[in-house]
Amino acid sequence: MTEQPIIRFENVTKQYDDDPPILDNVSFEMEKGKFYTLLGPSGCGKTTILRLISGLIEATSGKIYFKDKLINHVPANKRQVNTVFQDYALFPHLNVYENVAFGLRIRKMKNDEIDKKVREALRFVNLVGFENREIKEMSGGQRQRVAIARAIVNEPEVLLLDEPLSALDLKLRTEMQYELRELQQRLGITFVFVTHDQEEALAMSDEIFVINEGKIQQKGTPRDIYDEPINRFVANFIGESNIIKGKMIRDFLVEFDGKQFECVDQGFSPNEPVEVVIRPEDLEITTPDRGKLNVKVDTVLFRGVHYELCSYDENGNEWIIHSTKKAEIGAEIGLYFEPEAIHVMRFGETEEEFDARLESYDSYGDKDAD
Amino acid sequence: MKKKSLSTIYLTIVFLILYAPIFYLMYYSFNSGGKMYEFESFSLEWYKDLFQNTRLLIIVLNTIIIALLSSAISTILGTIGAVGIWHLKKRQTKNVLLSLNNILIVSPDVIIGASFLIMFTIVGIKLGFSSVLLSHIAFSVPIVVIMVLPKLQEMSSTLIDAAKDLGASNFNVLTKVILPYITPGIFAGFFMALTYSLDDFAVTFFVTGNGFSTLSVEIYSMARQGVSLTINALSTILFLFTILLVIGYYFISKRNGRIIGLGARK
Repeated sequence: MTEQPIIRFENVTKQYDDDPPILDNVSFEMEKGKFYTLLGPSGCGKTTILRLISGLIEATSGKIYFKDKLINHVPANKRQVNTVFQDYALFPHLNVYENVAFGLRIRKMKNDEIDKKVREALRFVNLVGFENREIKEMSGGQRQRVAIARAIVNEPEVLLLDEPLSALDLKLRTEMQYELRELQQRLGITFVFVTHDQEEALAMSDEIFVINEGKIQQKGTPRDIYDEPINRFVANFIGESNIIKGKMIRDFLVEFDGKQFECVDQGFSPNEPVEVVIRPEDLEITTPDRGKLNVKVDTVLFRGVHYELCSYDENGNEWIIHSTKKAEIGAEIGLYFEPEAIHVMRFGETEEEFDARLESYDSYGDKDAD
Repeated sequence: MKKKSLSTIYLTIVFLILYAPIFYLMYYSFNSGGKMYEFESFSLEWYKDLFQNTRLLIIVLNTIIIALLSSAISTILGTIGAVGIWHLKKRQTKNVLLSLNNILIVSPDVIIGASFLIMFTIVGIKLGFSSVLLSHIAFSVPIVVIMVLPKLQEMSSTLIDAAKDLGASNFNVLTKVILPYITPGIFAGFFMALTYSLDDFAVTFFVTGNGFSTLSVEIYSMARQGVSLTINALSTILFLFTILLVIGYYFISKRNGRIIGLGARK
């Protein structure tokens, strides 16, 4: 898997005038044929990364490579990447067929060749028979497919998708998630997908870059990021979390809520203050005498697949629990969790330090961390 | 129910008042009596007179040539101008240019006509066809700009991003995306310029010279010389022609999906 990266950012910064930088000294690599997701809240700089790759804006400083070729000053129309825009940006004066053919016509391809490619692209996105429709006659989901067909017909090596699902309703969105993932695997090209929806990111990606305030907070597979968030922001942004202040007594032993618990984390200094993450679904409800922690139930919400319980321990810490079991409001319950459910986060740890620490676990044969 | 019939009556009265003089004029163009009262019998003699009057026919031709030429040229210039203003990054420069443009539209024709007359005299351009054409182009350009600009502004900027992303050069973006998108605005601008030029009197009156005249100026001088029902006949034909223009405009804008209001003459 040590192929040359298809896209490489080296210390890239993007800044307008004297405003704080939108993208602050970002470096990363993307491999060929993978599904990447740039995940972050709005205004975090994820779309800026996309526009830097497509060439619609230029970096203030830093280097951007495409297959080891510096492309900082290559204009957008000369790059082998294509974009699916958030509002689809379909040309309203052209019909479906001509929208898809746009890029090919620009390249002055022969008509019969264009015809072959356009029909193939439309077949790829299940839009056969819609060739002569006007754009305004298409539904949101169909426009989305036209936009994808228009991008992939040019056979880009990288397809950029700028929150393409945000305008669709929930059901269609879930459907498109499957379709996009499948499409990426069939085409075998690199997808860079921008979203603020963590579920989308977890469901589709090979790798997720979590971005906040112009910096990449964490890179990793969906599992890595969900199970081992690097800091409070990532833990909160990806899924729901119980985050509590604690103290690392020594390796494999953490103290929080006035009690000591066995855990699987290591590489901390003795008695180092830390933050502890336990996912709501890792907490099991039992009787108070069997629980590792005892809490009092405050509210119960029925969420369909599970109940969401909000409860407080005696120190006033809030605990969110996802459980299929129901509990009475006001009842004392015990919480049980495995040592693996505890994830310890160090304050202010950089990604490199975090990765290095996780890797050191492997030598002990504990948890895998890629 | 009562409210509805009241508003219908009101509307009917307003339109009657607006159109009555025109229909009155048209009605007497068929009067064999030669007067604007006492309708004697139906005749087409004034129309015959009109079509035998070669001088008048040449003037009609002049008017049409001036209108078509000036609106075509001002459509090109105005479209370039609108794209230029739209392309400007600095908001302030944009507003200044737009205001300069709008001032030309709202300023009185008399002032524009007089200033053109002064300018042509100083520069030494002979008054006649070219001076009328130049001044018609001049007052039509701002109109075209104002008709084209909204189309540009409603265009999403991602359309241009998308075109570039698909490999389009700046020239391609202009010809394959921007121009097709604003075509309805360009057509509307052309038609507006055409109507403005056809019925312009004040500006033309100033800059027209010996031996060259347009219809509105000619009708004015004919009306001053005394009443001839040839004017009525001519006016009737002009009115029908205008209706044709409006219908043409309607179908073009209908094809483009929406009707852009024909602005009223100032």
